Amino acid sequence: MKWLAGPWLTIRVQIALGVIFVAAALPKIVDPPSFAHMIYNYKLIPWPLINPMALVMPWIELLCGLALILGIWKDTARTIIAALLVTFIIAISINLARGNAIDCGCFDVSAAGKTTAERIDDMRLVILRDLGMLLMVAQLWYASAQQRRLT
Amino acid sequence: MNWRKFFLEAATLIIAAVACALVANAMASRERKLVVVSAPAQTVAPPPPAPAPIATTTRQPDNPTTTQATVNRQPATKKPTTDNRQPTTQFNPHPDKPYIEIHGYDVKNLHDKGVLFLDARRTSVYEQGHIPGARPFSVWESDVDEKVNKLYAERSDPKDQNLPIVIYCSGGDCEDSHMLAQKLWGIQFNNVYVYKDGFPDWQKRGLPIHTGSNP
Repeated sequence: MKWLAGPWLTIRVQIALGVIFVAAALPKIVDPPSFAHMIYNYKLIPWPLINPMALVMPWIELLCGLALILGIWKDTARTIIAALLVTFIIAISINLARGNAIDCGCFDVSAAGKTTAERIDDMRLVILRDLGMLLMVAQLWYASAQQRRLT
Repeated sequence: MNWRKFFLEAATLIIAAVACALVANAMASRERKLVVVSAPAQTVAPPPPAPAPIATTTRQPDNPTTTQATVNRQPATKKPTTDNRQPTTQFNPHPDKPYIEIHGYDVKNLHDKGVLFLDARRTSVYEQGHIPGARPFSVWESDVDEKVNKLYAERSDPKDQNLPIVIYCSGGDCEDSHMLAQKLWGIQFNNVYVYKDGFPDWQKRGLPIHTGSNP
């Protein structure tokens, strides 16, 4: 399992995760009202918190993504990213369980005009995608723990 | 993990994110700006109108986007005199309900009578095509309260507040028109209708469409 904690894989996973989060943040930063609308559609957040969340969350994603790409504050950035991913998975799962078909607002905040069935399918895929990204975070954690053990 | 270091770095990242968000929002154009702190729109009830049975209790619209809607109590500056300001007889004021959902035929009927239409979709979408005469009133944009207050100023006469208003968005599960209706009801507009099937239905019926930023 040495390869799993090796620098070759770790650096690529770190940069890929950073790029994904930067890419996810940009459309939301550009159009906060649309992202606020997306958050509202989740029907989980008390409405006084929707706008502050729509404004700040994309910047947290962007800064954490940049931190991973640049290799600074890596531990903190990946922990925040893990927390965000777990939150997204829970939020989408709750809506899936409710049968509330929503656009996830992950990488695109414009209303896609999809059917309910398409949205439900997308939500399932989003959960799988977020689980995949959690695995990437797990790899980074594992590599970091192995490195600490050696030093 | 060094928890002290972690919390310091996390706090720095979050504070930096908040600062960036506030600066970006301050610099954003009107259509891309958000009201940072949104509070319940506990509206101040305007003076009760004489002829219409308007509820006197304070109304609390269930609206996620806006700050406290202040009501401009100044007399209306504009007093349109066209006959389309006559209340539509079959669409009577309903002070007990924020809105009534209506469908295509009624909408067309009201449009033909010159009733005011409000488009609750995003301004960018409005510009791509809207019902002729409809004004852009996106509930997700920062100037919605300003627009609502301006509308109130235009229609401060109680008789005017009983004139029908039709609100639409994208139909389907779109709730923006309902939110805007709640907001208008909160400042005593008692004759608001929501076009349930929204703009897609209008298009489907082959009715005229305007593009651009003007109604």
